[in-house]
Amino acid sequence: MSFNVLIVDDSKSVRSVIKKIITISGFRMDQCYEAANGKQALEILSKEWVDVILSDLNMPEMNGLEMLAAIKADIHLQKIPIIIISTESSDERRNAVLEMGAKQFVKKPFSPEYVRKVLYEVIGMEDETTRERNERDNDGGDF
Amino acid sequence: MKEMKEIMMAAIFDVVEQMFYVFLEPIGDDYADYAMEAAIQFKGDLKGEMSVLVSDGLAKSMVQNLLGLETGQMTKEDIEDCVKEVANMICGNFLGRLDRTRTFDLSVPSFSQPPRKAVTGGDACRLYFDSDGESFGAILRLTN
Repeated sequence: MSFNVLIVDDSKSVRSVIKKIITISGFRMDQCYEAANGKQALEILSKEWVDVILSDLNMPEMNGLEMLAAIKADIHLQKIPIIIISTESSDERRNAVLEMGAKQFVKKPFSPEYVRKVLYEVIGMEDETTRERNERDNDGGDF
Repeated sequence: MKEMKEIMMAAIFDVVEQMFYVFLEPIGDDYADYAMEAAIQFKGDLKGEMSVLVSDGLAKSMVQNLLGLETGQMTKEDIEDCVKEVANMICGNFLGRLDRTRTFDLSVPSFSQPPRKAVTGGDACRLYFDSDGESFGAILRLTN
């Protein structure tokens, strides 16, 4: 099974980095859509199915909070898991975003390992690294 | 202001080392030559602007480290985008370190090449760095 991913950030550089992290993590990605703001993201979502969204908050035209509210209000889109990746990391903002229905909040700057871990958690899968470690641990403990 | 400088320094190191693999050495208050500037405004309990100044060589190194592009492959847009993101991340990181309980609204970063005219003095916190002969600066201006 592979997944369609939507990356929303006004920085092309950040979109590229996130895409690269997902690709090299071994995550089974089918299509990777990119949007520079919430408005573009909603246009993509009106035409394409995506399995997970990774989005910034601070963007022109339509910010991440407005996009999150629009997605959660749409019966066809509201179940898509959303990971917010943002520099805005106050407890209040983080709690507000999670209360609005985002699955996870990742603070910028981020490590590739953390983004990968959160992505696998949100999609409900065990990533390769964790699975290998668990298998090793289980083998080692079986005397 | 001394405490703010320390928080700002920690935010800068966190962002440029973790995200852009660049290592900076503080060089005091000497204003060097910079090729470009990205600035971002914030408002909340504190209001102000964080600007980041970068030499051409350092901007290219950051793009190279972040995106894996060689100098000949990168466009002006890649460089602008990258420097704006540096300002965005440093500002957000700085405000989060200043007080995690307070929420600030950040503007979309702006970009100037060459940098806007340097303003000295006033209520500003300035930090300048060297990185293998290249220059990096950050200026925090509070407006209330």
